[in-house]
Amino acid sequence: MARRFVSLTVSMMLVLFLFMTGCSSSADPQGSGDQVELKLGFYSSGASDAKMQELIDGFMKKHPNIKVTTETAPYGQFFQKLDTRIAAGNAPDLWLSDGVLVAKYAERGAIKDLTEWIDKDLNKEDYYGLDFNKDAEGRYWAVPQGIQIGVLFYNKDLFDQAGVSYPTEDWTYDDLKKAAAKLTLDSKGKNADDPKFDGKSVSQFGLTFFSITEGWFPVMKAYGGGVLDPTMKKSIIDSPENRQAVEWMVDGMKRGIITDPSDLKSFKSPMEVFPSKSAAMWFGIYARVLAANESGLNHDVTLLPKGPSGKRFAPVIANSWVINNKADDAKAKAAWEWIKYWVTEDEVQSEWAVLGEAVPVKKSVANSDAFLNSGNKKINKQAFLDSFEFAGTLDTNAVWNEWVQVFGDNVDRAFLGEVPVNKALGEADRGVQKTLDQFYQK
Amino acid sequence: MPRNPVEANTGHRLTAKKRFLDQEGRWGLLLTSPYLIHFLVFVLGTLLTSLYFSLSNYDMLNPPEWVGLKNYDRLVHDPVFWKALWNTLYFVILFVPTQTFLALILAVALNQKLKGLKLFRMAHFVPVISSWTVILYVTDAVFNPRFGMANTLLTQLGLDPQKWLQDEVLVIPILVLIAVWKGVGYIMLIFLAGLQNVPQDLYEAAELDGAGVIKRFRYITLPMISGSTFLVLILSTISTFQAFEQIYVMTGGAADATAAGGPNNASLVLMLYLYREGFSFLHMGYASAIAWVLFVILFVLTWIQVRLQKRWVHYE
Repeated sequence: MARRFVSLTVSMMLVLFLFMTGCSSSADPQGSGDQVELKLGFYSSGASDAKMQELIDGFMKKHPNIKVTTETAPYGQFFQKLDTRIAAGNAPDLWLSDGVLVAKYAERGAIKDLTEWIDKDLNKEDYYGLDFNKDAEGRYWAVPQGIQIGVLFYNKDLFDQAGVSYPTEDWTYDDLKKAAAKLTLDSKGKNADDPKFDGKSVSQFGLTFFSITEGWFPVMKAYGGGVLDPTMKKSIIDSPENRQAVEWMVDGMKRGIITDPSDLKSFKSPMEVFPSKSAAMWFGIYARVLAANESGLNHDVTLLPKGPSGKRFAPVIANSWVINNKADDAKAKAAWEWIKYWVTEDEVQSEWAVLGEAVPVKKSVANSDAFLNSGNKKINKQAFLDSFEFAGTLDTNAVWNEWVQVFGDNVDRAFLGEVPVNKALGEADRGVQKTLDQFYQK
Repeated sequence: MPRNPVEANTGHRLTAKKRFLDQEGRWGLLLTSPYLIHFLVFVLGTLLTSLYFSLSNYDMLNPPEWVGLKNYDRLVHDPVFWKALWNTLYFVILFVPTQTFLALILAVALNQKLKGLKLFRMAHFVPVISSWTVILYVTDAVFNPRFGMANTLLTQLGLDPQKWLQDEVLVIPILVLIAVWKGVGYIMLIFLAGLQNVPQDLYEAAELDGAGVIKRFRYITLPMISGSTFLVLILSTISTFQAFEQIYVMTGGAADATAAGGPNNASLVLMLYLYREGFSFLHMGYASAIAWVLFVILFVLTWIQVRLQKRWVHYE
């Protein structure tokens, strides 16, 4: 009786123990020699996963002492999982960070400062976008994996039908709006310049844009405004330049020329408006070429327009490799080997470029056929490269997510005509500053 | 081997008093230990951890630092929190009575001897087992501001089209309507089970005494299913306070996380606010405080409901 009791207890404990250890992270023993096991995390996107695995296999062939294991999840869950894993102390040794989130991890001490290694091993002139991961103190926190940069997409067929000539590189935002008015049609086929035009029943918009990257941010910048000052700790929202830019947008929305937030909701996703031929123009990042091609659009791209004073701005998101600050020396070095392999090897760069998901990091590859003539459709890909001359990040900092929410909530109300522009920007300014202060003034 | 319980509860108990637990108690503990350990580690443990987090500044990427009641103080002065609390209450106040009442009516209707009854019951249960993403597409066919049936109908009647889910005033009522449509089948089943337990002879006796349909419903059916009603009220109040997925999906959170709870936070409920603060903004301490406030509210409400049940719930 008692013995059975004991044996039962012991076996239960054993089961439980196994269960517990199964849940926790087991320290991976370092094998003999200098074998390193590297945990690599990235958000998967279906189509490109096989190619990624191929490149990883190639890397392991080159570095037989490094064994790479991958941890992936769809974009929406990846960062949530990552954050909880960082909290639990078992995050990957290096991961692919969305460009707008690099600062979030850097300023909270979760990733390694890569300045020394970049200075030593990479010739900065050879790559696009290294500076997009530089902080105000000049430290580098990440190396780009692929770059997204915004241009003006336009649907040639819709331009032809309306008899409007294609956008040129000299366009200002006012030129864009004039053309967009002619390209906006109501259910009776009247365009926005027609006195009988019915703005309540728009069936084709002149321009679609939404949210920050492909929406209000590039316009505000081109008008000479913006959201944060260079320190990224102070709001500069309440300025005449921003007011002018937002007025430009609000006026376009009021006239039915530009999709307002409520129009966007009637589509399954904001990304659908342009590919479904419901809009003639779109501020889009490079990745949008894929969807436009898939839907068989007859489209092309050109530079984003100039602001009133001739200033230009193209939004950039440099999705980047970052190294876990808690990775030990051996793992960090192995991670750096992977990063070098990714950006310096022409073959890797071209292979990735063929997928058409991002602009390659290595300038020589980006300026070769591998990028410029990739894909089944000829479009003016040079426009993406030319845009680097006036490209900038989205004022990313540790609380980027938060201030975007605050600003977006306020500016949307102006877009919907519920609040005058002055008031919306004033409230956005106070709200964003409060958000910044909560983090930076502890 | 456990001996028979009668013996255990008599003389045998007295001799075993000196020991902390007798044979049987030990067996009991041992056999329930998998659950007990699970409870201690994964329920009580996490509860206490979140209580600690709610009293700290915690961004998940760095260790928590103790700040005492600061999060709760911020909560009280946070207009968004009050708005979220009101939205949640508004949702509950609209949803719980509507769903309970409709489910009861449906259950009574489907408790008759009708042809094709099974088909009706099944039809009401289809939305229950559908995912919110599917429901989103179904309801979008109705409430889409540009392509939806609702606006087509309105414009044909010469009325102004509405923005529905993008309208600050309409968003919660519409969400409640959809939630009722989705959830009513499940609650109806609980009522049906209750109705089928009402003894027929009670009805027969009442009929002999000359009670009409209304009287029978009022004096027999309602008291006899008050147990089910109580269960339904508790369950739906708690689940509504915790509503998350529906609102996240329907307000466009899947395409753009900042849109969830919109327009202008008009549909931001507490769970959504908690999620945004904790997982999008890394304010895990603040999010834990929201969770505890939610817990206290639910605890108090449930306690009140349990206290009140003595007055109206009738168990046989």
